[in-house]
Amino acid sequence: MEIGLGVNAAPWWIWPIALFAVSFAIGIVAVLAGVGGGVLFVPIVGSLFPFHLDFVRGAGLMFALAGTLAAGPPLLRAGMASLRLVLPLALVGSIGSFAGALVGLALSTELLQTSLGVLIIGIAILIWRSRGADSADVEADALGALLRLEGEFRDPAAGVTIDWRTHQTLLGLASFGAIGFVGGIFGLGAGFANVPALNLLMAAPLKVAVGSSGLLISVINSSAAWVYIHRGALLPLVVVPSILGVMLGSRIGAKLLGVTPARVVRRLVIVVMLLAGLRALSRGLGWM
Amino acid sequence: MDVNDRRLRELYARWLDGTTQAGFAISLVAFLLYVGGVLPAYVPLEDLPRYWALPVHRFIEMTGAPSGWAWLGELRYGDALNLAAVALLGLVTPVCYARLIPALVAERDWLQAGLATAQLAVLVAAASGLVAGTG
Repeated sequence: MEIGLGVNAAPWWIWPIALFAVSFAIGIVAVLAGVGGGVLFVPIVGSLFPFHLDFVRGAGLMFALAGTLAAGPPLLRAGMASLRLVLPLALVGSIGSFAGALVGLALSTELLQTSLGVLIIGIAILIWRSRGADSADVEADALGALLRLEGEFRDPAAGVTIDWRTHQTLLGLASFGAIGFVGGIFGLGAGFANVPALNLLMAAPLKVAVGSSGLLISVINSSAAWVYIHRGALLPLVVVPSILGVMLGSRIGAKLLGVTPARVVRRLVIVVMLLAGLRALSRGLGWM
Repeated sequence: MDVNDRRLRELYARWLDGTTQAGFAISLVAFLLYVGGVLPAYVPLEDLPRYWALPVHRFIEMTGAPSGWAWLGELRYGDALNLAAVALLGLVTPVCYARLIPALVAERDWLQAGLATAQLAVLVAAASGLVAGTG
């Protein structure tokens, strides 16, 4: 009989406890970085735990979904997640994600992993070398004005109120279609790309970009989650401790986001993106 | 800040909070029933380490674990009940959108209401399995 690798390892009950602890820690960092956390969860659990990558990816998707669902309410109430911003972008992203999932099944994983790694590292360097658009002193474009993609955000850490509106809205929508497409190919929430698209391209303040990215992931991943459910790729012993851990961790992360300086969040975003990019690149080139 | 926007955000946040916490609580209870041995497991916990390193198609072949919607008929088992609890989290966003749409219509915000309705259709199609299908 073909058996798994975990037969001679620790007793089964050790693994859910360890998953809970790891997920709790990732949940805090993921919210601060504006990512779903799957991009951290999958490489960590995939390399340190005995489960097959199919179950780790399924759990990673549910992990990102649960974390962003839990972080949503405090982010919305604090004005850091904009519902008006999320509605059109999530719709385009969801459709792109579906298309990406279908295309991804037909393409070479190594080629796509390598491309993704290069892309993410490139975006991380771009953010690192540019300044965030926190002042948001841009003129709204016609589509942004039509969709009323604007708001007022009080940043308690900086002690300032930012009156923001988006520009380059059509380009932003196209970007989220593309991000959803890429995210669908790899089964990721793609928060690492959401934040720069919202902040650098559409001129949403960084914290609004981070907060709205989380809400976007919760909508887009809700669609993708059903693919894993229908295909039987969710192992409750892996999924449930992970989502319980990330839901608790994300709530703490959402509270910390309001009082964490934008500079720290920006650095965290860059570090997370570099780690994710290097991982994708190394997998694509067969280094791990 | 637009008062209507704040009201809509609060409405969505309230529903998101309630449904997510319900999903959290149900997942926790279902998991405790499962790992505590209160409910029998379709794949016994002691046997899981023999199978959890297998690809999902091999796992299903070896254990006969339910996929697609088949788990709905096996809710007497702890692992199937946990899948149902996890699936509830996949329904949180559609439920929140379903609550948001009438509020947007009441605000006569037709454009955003149309976007939310289209998004709900995408989510329902995904949940039905008609678009993604079973693998």
